[in-house]
Amino acid sequence: MDTDSIDREIARRSLRLYLPISLGAALLFFLAATGGEYPWVARIGGAVWVGILTLIIAMPVVTSWVKRRARGPDRAAGKSASQAGRREPQG
Amino acid sequence: MSEDTLEIQLPVEGMTCASCVAHVEGALRDVPGVARVAVTLSPGRASLSFDPSRAGLDRLRRAVEEVGYRVPTAEITLEIQGMTCASCVAHVEGALKELPGVQEAVVNLGLGTARLRYIPGLVSSGQMKRAVRNVGYEARERDAGLDALDRERQARQEEIRRQGRNLLIAAAVGLLVMAGTFYDMLGPLKAIVPAWLAEKWVIGLLTTPIVFGPGRQFFTNSWRGLRHGVADMNLLYATGIGAAYGIAVINTLFPRAGFGGEGATFFESAALLTAFIILGRWLEALTRGRTSEAIRKLMRLQPKVARVVRGEAEVEVPADEVEVGDLILVRPGESIAVDGHVQEGYSAVDESMLTGESLPVEKHGGDTVIGGTLNKTGAFKFTATRVGKDTALAQIIKLVEDAQASKAPIQKLADWVAGHFILGVHALAIAVFLFWFFFGYSRFFDPASSFILSPYRLGEIGVFGFSLLLSVTVLVISCPCAVGLATPSAMMAGTGKAAEHGVLFKGAEAIENASHLRTIVFDKTGTLTRGEPSLTDVVSAEAEANEVVRLAAIAERRSEHPLGEAIVRGAVVRGIALGEPESFDSIPGQGIEARVESRLVLLGNRKLMDGRDVLFGSLLSEAERLEHEGKTVMFLAVDGRAFGLIAVADTLKDHAAAAIEKLHELGLEVAMITGDNRRTAEAIARQARIDRVLAEVLPQDKAEEIRKLQAAGRKVAMVGDGVNDAPALAQADVGMAIGSGTDVAKETGHVILIKDDVRDVVVALEVAKATMRKVRQNLFWAFIYNMLGIPIGAGLLYPLFQLVVSPELAGALMAVSSVSVTLNTLLLRRFAPSTRTSSPSHGQRSLTPAPAATSA
Repeated sequence: MDTDSIDREIARRSLRLYLPISLGAALLFFLAATGGEYPWVARIGGAVWVGILTLIIAMPVVTSWVKRRARGPDRAAGKSASQAGRREPQG
Repeated sequence: MSEDTLEIQLPVEGMTCASCVAHVEGALRDVPGVARVAVTLSPGRASLSFDPSRAGLDRLRRAVEEVGYRVPTAEITLEIQGMTCASCVAHVEGALKELPGVQEAVVNLGLGTARLRYIPGLVSSGQMKRAVRNVGYEARERDAGLDALDRERQARQEEIRRQGRNLLIAAAVGLLVMAGTFYDMLGPLKAIVPAWLAEKWVIGLLTTPIVFGPGRQFFTNSWRGLRHGVADMNLLYATGIGAAYGIAVINTLFPRAGFGGEGATFFESAALLTAFIILGRWLEALTRGRTSEAIRKLMRLQPKVARVVRGEAEVEVPADEVEVGDLILVRPGESIAVDGHVQEGYSAVDESMLTGESLPVEKHGGDTVIGGTLNKTGAFKFTATRVGKDTALAQIIKLVEDAQASKAPIQKLADWVAGHFILGVHALAIAVFLFWFFFGYSRFFDPASSFILSPYRLGEIGVFGFSLLLSVTVLVISCPCAVGLATPSAMMAGTGKAAEHGVLFKGAEAIENASHLRTIVFDKTGTLTRGEPSLTDVVSAEAEANEVVRLAAIAERRSEHPLGEAIVRGAVVRGIALGEPESFDSIPGQGIEARVESRLVLLGNRKLMDGRDVLFGSLLSEAERLEHEGKTVMFLAVDGRAFGLIAVADTLKDHAAAAIEKLHELGLEVAMITGDNRRTAEAIARQARIDRVLAEVLPQDKAEEIRKLQAAGRKVAMVGDGVNDAPALAQADVGMAIGSGTDVAKETGHVILIKDDVRDVVVALEVAKATMRKVRQNLFWAFIYNMLGIPIGAGLLYPLFQLVVSPELAGALMAVSSVSVTLNTLLLRRFAPSTRTSSPSHGQRSLTPAPAATSA
């Protein structure tokens, strides 16, 4: 399997993890807000905002974690520092 | 994914026969996860199939190296465009390190470069550029010399123009938005501002082109990054501007939507936040290039043409087309195109731009000249010996560039913090939003509350709008741009400033280490001392001191012994006219016998005098005193009678004692290491006020002595000859090769002092300390801004004072932070080393012991 194919696979696996995490966080917020006397706009707006921020956090963390697992022990070592804050592969 | 395999062609060097092939194949096959190996001798390549989850490239490379072969690496420098902060550095570095075959990637924000070490064949420059583009930046291969300089300057000017244009639009339209928003407070100015400007939809219409014109760059850049899982500063700005603009639009079009209604249209926030961020970018672009002014000065020295002598004709050819062996004519006032040896003519050449030497250097036939230096007075011809990338100037430029592209440990830490900071900030933004949404708003919100430095009231803003506002402010106020700039900008200015004085740091780590030194060890011979004996003392028995010197010097005139030459030089310095001896005989191990002006002169050691029954009586005590001072004493007898004593010794170089005094002022312990006997070493140490003497140390043991000092917990620098002292220089925390001349590429050590001037050690330490002081100041200002700004932005003060930071104020603070760091760095340009500003005569007289003359 060539590098691009591995990267595409990493992207797919990452997406399958960080998207549910973000949607889950948004849903949790929505449910929590529904328990109080908040207007609908606030509940939906808040859920969207929490979802976006969670996505921004989860995307690089999950992608980096999946890459580390996929690329083997050597590359993972010594690269983790610069990888946090990142990144989905090309393709 | 462990079932997947990766196929690569790994280059292998050092294989010479079929058995080598078998060794390499065996070594690679033994690595767990390798499925298939086929090694070919020519062109030295291993075709591999392996499971990347079990066998990494590093493991494969180690396997090859363990059996005695080498996986070659190459280096490339890419110019990166679009980086704005430390998180960009982390993204680009990460993207490049991800590529198979890339062994090392170091990105420099200040220079806008990425330097890579990679395994050729596994990855191409095209793949590297694509990887950089994929995370949202532009990349291209870096050219050498003037082209790179021109391109870099052009790119910077283009960025200044682009951001200047954006700023003009954002500021001009932003002023109209402000006028409309605060129409009620304009007082007499209402007469010139039309009332319709205060209509919300008009303000909205004015804000829209700011957000989607000048502000568009933040959205497009962050989107490009997001597509590849990158969260950078642009995202912070985009969410900040986007959220403020989005709420404003909703509140204008749907005032009853619950976002605060018409009282909370944040159009001016979106407009001014955009304007302030662009102001910051523009100021940064304006000032950032100035921190690398030194390298630009060096590059400008490279002459464009040379006047080559071809037969009878003089032909002007581009300097980069000059070949080794070409004869080049240089006229007064012209720059010297390449390095070479003077063939004919005489002149004085200004070399200050490369060596820091302020006085022009005289050049005669056979002397070397350096490309890039300036011919002052006469015309001469020289033969080119080094051209293109081999010239001293090209080597110096490369060294300084490499140093500027490297990272100090403190910078790696700052980059790591900034790289991770951005995720922390987003997590904090969620926490702030949740707190104010579920708890804070209901408990603390006051409709009469307002923004800091603004009369604007929050009014009827709802729980979502208020929580979102604080969350967005945290994102904007947390930008770690200043953190990312703090170290590289200072390092660039520091290495450049050092180069101006002929001090070349090989890396940022050398600067950081040099600022922490506690002990500095000088090699004695050739470093602190001249490395050749000089006439120091004359004691006469009956005649004048000069007569003693005269007779001794005439007797030694034909001698080739270093001590004899020292006496002849001493006589010449004293202006004594010297004739020729009538006869001369060398007596091995004892001295000489000569006939001078019909008198029999004996000059040598005690053994010689004892053998000839010459009694020195009262002079013996003087001889012992001089020997105790580490000097070599020679006895002079004329016609069988004691005539005088002459002492010679290796003397301190000019400025050595002054330099050591300065080092003491800097709080350093100064040691001297030498193979000489302790008495001689201590005599020199006393003159120079050395604190610690490491005598009778064999050359091969010098590194061990350095190691012992380090074992005692000291940061140690070693100053010495770059060739003979190489192991000790390498062992020291900072190795300084002194007097290398301009052949800097061959030098070992972490710091290269081009001139043979001990004071440059002080220059190196002072530059290092000044640079690290700037780094610390910059980091302090960058972090203090975030440490104070984030809690205030998160609404910590709101329960007490009902004041919140508006997003636009957060943007302004962020811009001020980045610009203040860059401006602080620019103060380094005023740095002048203390040894250059103090009086040169001080100390110099005390250093070189003038030959003493006494009469017994």
